[in-house]
Amino acid sequence: MVDQAQKEFRTRDLLYSIALWFLSWLIPDPQLHYRREYKFKKRDLFYLSAVLVFPLIWPDPHIHHLMVLAGIHGILALGLTLFLGYAGQISLGQAAFFGVGAYTTAVLTTRYGLPSFLAFWASAIMAAIFALLIGKPLLKLKGYFLALATLGFGEIFLVLVRENASLTGGVIGIFNIPFFSFAGFTFDTYLKQYYLIWGVLTGLVLFSKNLVRSKMGRACLAVASSEEGASALGIDVAWIKLGVFTVGAAFAGLAGSLFASVMSTANPETFSLNLSVLIVMMVVLGGMGNLYGPIAGAIFLTVLIDRLSRYQEYSLPLYGVILILLLIFFPDGIGTRLRVRLIYLISYFGRKKRREKVNL
Amino acid sequence: MEAFISSTLFFLTNDPDEETIQLKTMELFAPLPQLFTSGITFGAIYALVGLGFVTIAKASQMINFAQGEFVMLGGMLTFFLFKEIQLPYLLSAFLTIPLVMLIGCLLHLLVIYPLRKASLPILLMATLGASLFLSSASALLFGTLPKALPPFINRPPIDIGPISISLQSLWVVGATCLVLLFLYLLSHRTLLGKAMEASSTDPLGADLSGISRHLMIFIAFGVSAGMGSLAGIFITPIFYVSYHSGTLIGLKGFIAAILGGWGKHSGAILGGFVLGVVESLSVAFMPSGYKDAIAFVVLLLILYLKPKGILGSPFIDSRRW
Amino acid sequence: MKKIGWIMLAAFMFTTWMTPGYAAKTSPYRIGVNLELTGPWAEVTKTLKNAMMLEVERINKAGGIQGRPLELIFEDNGFEVGRAAANMTKFTRDKEILLVVGPFEDNLQATTRAIAEREKITNIIICPSNPMVRDLKQQWAFNIAQSDIIVSQKLVDLVLARKYKKVMVFHGAWPLAQSLAEYFKQFGEEKGIKVIVSPETHKPTDIDMTPQLTKIKPVLEKEKVDAFYACTGGPPGPMITKNLRALGIKTPVLGTHAFGFGFIIALGGEAMEGVEFPSAKPVVFDQLDENDPAKPININFDKRWRERYGTPSDQIAGYGYDTIGLIEDALKRIKGKVTRSSFREAFENTKGFKGTHGIYQFSSTGHDGLSKKDMVFVRIEGGKFKRIQFPGFD
Repeated sequence: MVDQAQKEFRTRDLLYSIALWFLSWLIPDPQLHYRREYKFKKRDLFYLSAVLVFPLIWPDPHIHHLMVLAGIHGILALGLTLFLGYAGQISLGQAAFFGVGAYTTAVLTTRYGLPSFLAFWASAIMAAIFALLIGKPLLKLKGYFLALATLGFGEIFLVLVRENASLTGGVIGIFNIPFFSFAGFTFDTYLKQYYLIWGVLTGLVLFSKNLVRSKMGRACLAVASSEEGASALGIDVAWIKLGVFTVGAAFAGLAGSLFASVMSTANPETFSLNLSVLIVMMVVLGGMGNLYGPIAGAIFLTVLIDRLSRYQEYSLPLYGVILILLLIFFPDGIGTRLRVRLIYLISYFGRKKRREKVNL
Repeated sequence: MEAFISSTLFFLTNDPDEETIQLKTMELFAPLPQLFTSGITFGAIYALVGLGFVTIAKASQMINFAQGEFVMLGGMLTFFLFKEIQLPYLLSAFLTIPLVMLIGCLLHLLVIYPLRKASLPILLMATLGASLFLSSASALLFGTLPKALPPFINRPPIDIGPISISLQSLWVVGATCLVLLFLYLLSHRTLLGKAMEASSTDPLGADLSGISRHLMIFIAFGVSAGMGSLAGIFITPIFYVSYHSGTLIGLKGFIAAILGGWGKHSGAILGGFVLGVVESLSVAFMPSGYKDAIAFVVLLLILYLKPKGILGSPFIDSRRW
Repeated sequence: MKKIGWIMLAAFMFTTWMTPGYAAKTSPYRIGVNLELTGPWAEVTKTLKNAMMLEVERINKAGGIQGRPLELIFEDNGFEVGRAAANMTKFTRDKEILLVVGPFEDNLQATTRAIAEREKITNIIICPSNPMVRDLKQQWAFNIAQSDIIVSQKLVDLVLARKYKKVMVFHGAWPLAQSLAEYFKQFGEEKGIKVIVSPETHKPTDIDMTPQLTKIKPVLEKEKVDAFYACTGGPPGPMITKNLRALGIKTPVLGTHAFGFGFIIALGGEAMEGVEFPSAKPVVFDQLDENDPAKPININFDKRWRERYGTPSDQIAGYGYDTIGLIEDALKRIKGKVTRSSFREAFENTKGFKGTHGIYQFSSTGHDGLSKKDMVFVRIEGGKFKRIQFPGFD
C-alpha cells in the first residue's frame, strides 16, 4: 500500500512534491520503521527528551493533570495495540481489566494497608490472571463476535463489582486510596505523578518494542495476516493470542492501579463500556501496527475531550462528528500516512479526473 | 469458561446482604406466571430490535451498533410530533417511520458508504460513533428528560387468574408477528429481497449478476431503521423513552439475534423470546442486580458452546464472524 | 536538528491551542462551574446553569458586588471522574477563580472535593449524598441541597403522622438511594416503625420494574405492609408506581424529595395519584404559610424565571438561585481583600440567609446548609403537587 502510494507520488506534479518535502520536515512518518533497519534512533531520543522536558517548560498543573490522564490512557492503548494492531484481534473489554487493576490496588491499600508499590505489581498480576481465565474460552471467537463477547465480559464484571459491596464498596466505590509511594517518596503533586506515569509508559514502550521484535511479535503479525497460514508454519495460534491478550490485560491492570492512586477513588461508573470504546478509538485513530500511534491517539483524544468541555452541551455531538470524520478521512490513524493523506486532501480538487486511478 | 462460571458462583454465594427476606419454595414459584408474561413482552421487543440487526446482516454481513438509536428515535420523534407539533397520535406514528428510515439511509450514505473498504475495527468504531452522535444530538434537540406516550387503547390491564396483562404488550407481540410476516414476504417473495440476500452471501456473484450491492445495503439500512422506529413507537407507551435508552435495548436485541441463530429472521424472533423470558425468570432466583448480567452470560455461553445459535446460522463460516 | 525545530514549532502551536483563552482581566469575581452538562443529568444541570446565569445577570445589572461584577465560567465534565478532576484543576490553577460550584453526581464529588482540599479552594456542591464522602470532614466543601439525613428524618415524620406501622423500602442501586434507605431504616427503627428493606434493587436504566415488584408482591401481602417507599429518583420513580398499580397492588406509595418535578407526574400519569413525599419548598411555593420567608422569594424568582425562559421554575432552579445568593451574601460580608481563604471564612459564617429553599445556616462543624424545617409534605392530587399538613409535625 505504502509503496504503491510512493510510486504514485513520483508521477505527480512537482508542486505536490514540494509540499510533501516541506511536510516531511514537520511530521515524521511512523511507517518509515518498516523501510529502515531498526536502531535506537534520534527520534526515540527526541520523544523521550520531549516527555522529560515538557512539564518543565510548561508549568501548568492543569496540563500536567491532563497529561497524567493521557499517560494512563496511553498505557491502556499500548496494551490494546499489541492485541488489536499486532495480533489483529478486537477487544471491547479492556476497561474491565483496567477496573480489575484499580480495584486490586484500592482493596489492597485501603483494607490491608499494603504499600502501593506492591499493590501496583499485584494489580498487573491480578489482571493477567483474569485475562488468562477469560481468554482461553473467548479467544476461540473472532471478528464481531469476539468484540461482543469481550463487551459482555466487561458488563458482567461491572455487575459483579456493583453487587459485591463487601469487597468493592458496591455502587459507592472506594475512597481515599493513598497516593503512589515508593521508598518513602510520595507522588502527591501532578508533576510527580506525570513523571511516574510517563516513566512507567516509557518502560512499557521499551518492553513492547522488544516484544514485537521477538519471536512472539513476529508470530503475532503472522496470526494477524492469516491464522491458517500461521498454524501451517507451526505457530500455536491459540497460545499466541492468549499470550498477547494477557500482556495487554496486564498493561491495563497497571494503568488501573495508577488511575486509582492518582484519582484516589475507584467506582464502577469509571470502568464502563464508554472507556473500552474510547481506548479502541485511541488505537484506531492513532494508527494500528505501530507503538507510538496509540500514545499519540491517547494524547490527542484526551486533549480533544478536554477542549470540547467548553462547548458544554454541544460537546458530545461535536465529539461524535469529529470521530466519524477522522475515521473517514484518516482510516489508518492520524499519525500514519499523515503526509500522504494531507497531500491527498490538498490535491483532491486538482485531480478530480484522475481520482479513479489513485488507489489510496 | 468453567473457571469463570465457578468464580461467578463464588461471587453469587457471597451475598453480603444480612437483611434478606426469606422466601419459601412455594412463594418462590408463585410469581413465575407473571414473570413469564412480562418476559414475553420484553422478548417481543428484543425480537423486533434483533430483526433490524438481521436485516442489515442479510445484506452486508456487518453489524450496525447504532440500531438501538433507531428505537430511541422512533419513540422520540413520535413524542415530538404528537406533543410538540400536536399532530394526531396515529399520524405522528406513521410520519415517524419514514423520518427514521431517512435517518437510517443518511447514516449509510454519510458513514457506512465512505468506509466501504475499511477494516472491521474501523467500521465498528464508526457505527459506535454514529450511535453516540445520534443519542447526544437527540438529547440536544429534544431534551434529556424521559418521555412517555399514552397507550394506544386506554383500558385497564386484563386479569387472567394471577396474571395481569396490559393491552400494549399484546400490541407489541402483534407488531412483531406483522414485521416477521413482512420480512418473510420481502426476502422470499420479492426480487429485491433475494438480491439483498445475494449481495451478502456472495458479493462477487452479486456483482456479476448486475446487482448493485451498495444500493442493497442502502435499502437494508432504511428497512432496518424503519423496523427500529416501529419498535420504538410500540414500546414507548409501556415504558418511556429517553435519549440514552437505545444503547442497552440495541445490545440486547443483538444478543437475541445471535442466540436464535445469526442471520435468520426466525432465529431473531425465537432468540428474542428466549432471552426475554430467561431474563425475566432469572429475577425469581437471584437478586435483581444481576438481571443485566444474565443477557451477557447467555451471550458468552451461546458463543462458546454453540456459536451458530439455536436454529443455526447461514453465514457463520464466513471470515467476519 | 532542523526537523526538531519544526517539531518544536508545531508543539508550540499545539500548546497555544491548548491554553485557555481567559487570562488576565482583574475586575470580575470569577466562579468556576463544573457540571455534567452532557450525560444523564443534562436536563437538571441545564436548569441549574440557567438559574445561575439569570441571577448573575441580575446582580451585574444592579452594579455587581461593591462595583465588581460576577462571572461564571462553565465546563462540562461529561459524567466522568477524570474530566471532573481535570476541570477542577483547571479552575484551581486560574488564580482569578474564587470558588468552584459542582459537580452534581456524588461519585465525582469525592475526587473534586479532595482536590479542593489540597488546593485550598471553596467547592460548593448541590447534591450531597454520599455518607462516605461526608465522613471525610472536609473544610473547603459546602453542601447546598437537603442532605439525605434530613430527608429521611422528614419522611419518618410523614410515616408517623400517617400512623403507618410497617414500611417496605425498594431502593435504587446508586449511592444516594442507598444512603436514603439506610438512614430511613435507622431513624424509623428509632421511632418504632418496622422497616423492611427489600433485597431487590433497581438501576437508573431499568425501564421495567415488574420482575422485581412481582417478587416483592407476596412479601407485601404476607407482611401486611402499610406503605411502600419508592426510594429512588428520576424516571424509575413513576415506573415503580405505574408497575405497582398494574400488578394490582393498592399499598400507598411514599417517595423521596426527587419526586418533586413536573415530568415525574407526566411519566406516571394516573398511577401517581396519592403519592406522598417530603419535598423542598419551591415545589409548592404558592401553598406555603404566609409568614414563611421563602414564599415571597419564590414568587419573585418564579416570575422572573417565567419571563426569561417561559416555563415554571422548579427546585433545581431554586438551588441555582440560592447558590448565587449565598455567594453574593458571603462576598458582601468580606471586609478587606477578597481571597480564596477569606471567602471560605465568610461563607462558613453564613447565618440565616433566606433563599428559595429556606434558611441556610453554616458553621465550622455543619457544612450542610438546610435543616428539617426547610422541608414540607407534598401529595400528588389531580396531576398537581399539593401541600399537606399534619398538626405537630411541621
